[in-house]
Amino acid sequence: MQAHSLSRGSVAGLPAGSGGALPALVLVGLFFVVPVVALLLRSVTDPEPGLQNYAALFGSGTYVRVFLNTFLVAAVVTVVTILVAFPVAWMLAIMPPALGSIVFGIIILSMWTNLLTRTYAWMVLLQRTGVINRALMGLGVIDEPLPLINNLTGVTIGMVYIMLPFMILPLVGTLRAIDPMTLRAAALCGASPLQAFRRILLPLSLPGIAAGGLMVFVMSLGYFVTPALLGGTSNTMLAEMIAQTVQSLLNWGLGSAAAFVLLAVTMVLYAIQLRMVGARRLAGGL
Amino acid sequence: MLLDYDRLGWLRAALAGFTALVAAFLLLPVVFIVLLSFGSSRWLAFPPPGWTLKWYQELLADPAWIDAALTSAKIAAMAAILAVLIGLLASFSLVRGEFRGRQFLRGLLLTPMVLPVVVFAIAIYAFFLRIGLAGTTIGFVIAHTILALPFAIVPIATALEGFDKSIEDAAIVCGASPLQARLRITLPSIRIGIFSAAIFSFLASWDEVVVAIFMASPTLQTLPVKIWGSLRADLSPVVAAASSLLVGLTLALMIVTALLRRRLSR
Repeated sequence: MQAHSLSRGSVAGLPAGSGGALPALVLVGLFFVVPVVALLLRSVTDPEPGLQNYAALFGSGTYVRVFLNTFLVAAVVTVVTILVAFPVAWMLAIMPPALGSIVFGIIILSMWTNLLTRTYAWMVLLQRTGVINRALMGLGVIDEPLPLINNLTGVTIGMVYIMLPFMILPLVGTLRAIDPMTLRAAALCGASPLQAFRRILLPLSLPGIAAGGLMVFVMSLGYFVTPALLGGTSNTMLAEMIAQTVQSLLNWGLGSAAAFVLLAVTMVLYAIQLRMVGARRLAGGL
Repeated sequence: MLLDYDRLGWLRAALAGFTALVAAFLLLPVVFIVLLSFGSSRWLAFPPPGWTLKWYQELLADPAWIDAALTSAKIAAMAAILAVLIGLLASFSLVRGEFRGRQFLRGLLLTPMVLPVVVFAIAIYAFFLRIGLAGTTIGFVIAHTILALPFAIVPIATALEGFDKSIEDAAIVCGASPLQARLRITLPSIRIGIFSAAIFSFLASWDEVVVAIFMASPTLQTLPVKIWGSLRADLSPVVAAASSLLVGLTLALMIVTALLRRRLSR
């Protein structure tokens, strides 16, 4: 008996086995699964049973444009984030810890700072009369203020800013796991730095780049705050459109259908990512 | 060679320069907003024509801002306590339990972290409208606990995986009851994980905007909702003052975290 209770740790008081998960399961089941399923059902029942909401969604040029724009923004943000994050992660992986910890501190500060605060700062910085336009004009680079806000440029800058930590931090892990000996060996065998980069460093870090990139892409697809504040009316993204449809137009059927499309795409991409990195590493990486 | 800091040659200078630029880019909005909050220009001219504390005075004199901050703190504290307690119990069975569907359960409990928050926001809003919890503190706390739960489970489960269970067993062999062993041996050993869980789940609620926008009512507003409303209306410098206080809070939290981690890991 004693041996049994030791191995399973099942005791009255703190539950063991599956019992401990019960409160979490009830909470998530009742207030997460039920509402989300109910919402999805609403997309085929509101205002009447049928697929008319989906027909409206894919039949209208306006909504199709929102879908295309959402994918475009997410793709641009992902590519730019990868290009900016890779050299930084590379440096962080090999630089002396004392210097590195300063950069890590800045990354954490940026990541932990309130999302609205960061977005607000970009709104002010990117204005027509903002610091960036004035600096560029002062330097004589441009004559007219650049349109940096309420368009794709603004959304891209704001979103890349937010996504960078999510790309840099896991990539540092990937790069640190690569044995420097393999690159020394390549150099000894006569590989130029470019060859060593293209044939060894890049392929070995590709799993990390792919996993991080996919995460950034998925997060960008469903992003609401930054596109709503930095984007323009001509490039509304899906999350903003869903919120508007429900909140302003009170069209729950259509909003639910759009939410289902977003949910389905997200879950498919999430499943691909789980395959790639395994649930454990994904969770640990956060 | 490419991964040897001392043998990178010119590439090291290039990488270091680029890293410094990106670090400056990451720091820019945070520093800018703090400077701006002390600027005297109502139109956010920069560099400011003079320095002032009037935006802070205006902020602290406005009961709506104070109320919103208190509401946020109350909801975030309750959500964090619930998420850590429920997450702690769940972590034990996710890490140690041997039952079918354990992986599925882990996936399910972590889903609120990956699902686009706008989908959850309208789903829970519709649900709460139906059962009468929309615009209530309880509704707010429940919704934020769901969102905070993954941020509590991940660090606790990770800490528990790294804890050698035979130490707990040894305590039981030495006569401790299994409950005593857990409370006095296991919990203190994973305290860094529990502490991280508390910080992350508090922040998950404190900073949350999207669910809050739907959940809020004219009488129940969290700080992000108040900021969101101000941003949509105009770019008042009062928002810069509020934002700077939030930056200060973040810095304080980072320092406390670093100090506590150092102390706890001793």
